[in-house]
Amino acid sequence: MSVTPDTGATPVTLNKPELPPQFRVSARRQKRLPNWGLKAVMAITGVIGALFLAMHLFGNLKVYTGAEHFNKYAYWLRHVGEPLLPANAVVWVLRVVLAGCIVLHIVSAAILWVRGRKARGKFSAKRRGGLRSFEATLMPLTGICIALFVVFHIADLTLGVQPLASETFQEPTDTAAFAYQNLIASFSRPWSAAIYIVMMVLLSIHVSHGLYTVVSDLGALGKRLRAVLITIGGATAVFILLGNASIPIAVLIGVLS
Amino acid sequence: MKLTLQIWRQAGDTDSGHYETFEVDQLDAGMSILEMLDRLNEQLLHEGKEAIAYDSECRESICGTCGINVNGRPHGPQPHVTSCMQRLRSFHDGATVRIEPLRAGAFPVKKDLVTDRGGLDRIIAAGGTVSLMAGTAPDSDAISVGHDQVERALDFAACIGCGACVSACPNGAAVLFTGAKITHLTMLPIPAIERNERATYMVAAMEDEFGPCSLYGECVLVCPQNVPLSAIGSLNKERLRSLFHPRI
Repeated sequence: MSVTPDTGATPVTLNKPELPPQFRVSARRQKRLPNWGLKAVMAITGVIGALFLAMHLFGNLKVYTGAEHFNKYAYWLRHVGEPLLPANAVVWVLRVVLAGCIVLHIVSAAILWVRGRKARGKFSAKRRGGLRSFEATLMPLTGICIALFVVFHIADLTLGVQPLASETFQEPTDTAAFAYQNLIASFSRPWSAAIYIVMMVLLSIHVSHGLYTVVSDLGALGKRLRAVLITIGGATAVFILLGNASIPIAVLIGVLS
Repeated sequence: MKLTLQIWRQAGDTDSGHYETFEVDQLDAGMSILEMLDRLNEQLLHEGKEAIAYDSECRESICGTCGINVNGRPHGPQPHVTSCMQRLRSFHDGATVRIEPLRAGAFPVKKDLVTDRGGLDRIIAAGGTVSLMAGTAPDSDAISVGHDQVERALDFAACIGCGACVSACPNGAAVLFTGAKITHLTMLPIPAIERNERATYMVAAMEDEFGPCSLYGECVLVCPQNVPLSAIGSLNKERLRSLFHPRI
């Protein structure tokens, strides 16, 4: 096969010498789920998760506009697109997409983690404080905490499962939602508010490192772009932390009731 | 100066290995760590004991043959310096120094401080070469490569393949190495013709033996040639890019 670059010289031809068997790529075990593919899956699902967090934060901040507006927003979420779409349609699409992303993200992370441990061998590497070594080390831990928190959060404020949800939890009806009352009731319990505040710290650490690795996983180069993305990742994390954690604090000190 | 050395001894690949303690006296602060091992070996041979096996070749930081972990750090305490150029002045007199082989799952210890780093060679053999018959030499001005582009390519081509990045990585990944090897070829016009098949094959060979990258950034701290972290993003880009381009 010949390839002709515009050099004005004679055609360039491929001349790959026959390699000894141990060096032949065809003889190598090709991974069915390659690491670079799993990393790309983690990057894309992570970005979808971060976009959802941004939207969720925007919705959450409506709590400061008062009970009526917040409940109206919660009601709208379940009835958006009506009458073209059935009730809860958009919510269910979001739920399926997010659940899929979470599963893909966790499965990829677990496979990569196992492969990393295997490739490390029995002697661990001493951390010398690489650029993002601390955050990278924390990723599996913060990830597991976030997965558990998602279960708690859904049981607390969506399903109203006792004893995780508050005693006064009200299911939404066809005509009204009680998101505001449920939120206040949940955050009025100091242990519940504490869980939310601590989790927002862990979540923001996870997101800040995640958004930074996304650039590299999807193939972006360069020191300057890295600096830009570290800033964007950090800023997003700070918004998530301050915006979301302010709500349980506001409930505890009585600004919201 | 005098140093107490805890050195990894391992008779062969099946031996489990252990640390052995030695005292070495009358050392000069200007000696390299490898010269200190030479001094110790003379001492051991004089006592009729077996010398410590270790790798070294050029002793001027360009061949990539030497590589030991010193106090848990690949090559030694000075950043961006190979073992052969690490001077003893980094240690205070009477210090205890632990010396072990470059640790990684993909680097089995063959004897004492000697590891088999053939996995890196197998990555290169999979595609880190230019296999094009270039025919007669083109006109010197036919393909212009700017000075900045050449310098950037050389930043990545500087990799000497010592394996320190793999040993420093908490995942035992060779992504900095492979990224450097792929990137310098991609930046130059003739080698770039094969970039897609190169990325496919080299990444397959890399993932067969080494771990995934979690962007800890530990590798760049020990790299003797200061290969930039951009090599990692570049590797991912080349591999993803090869999905969208036909291979030659």
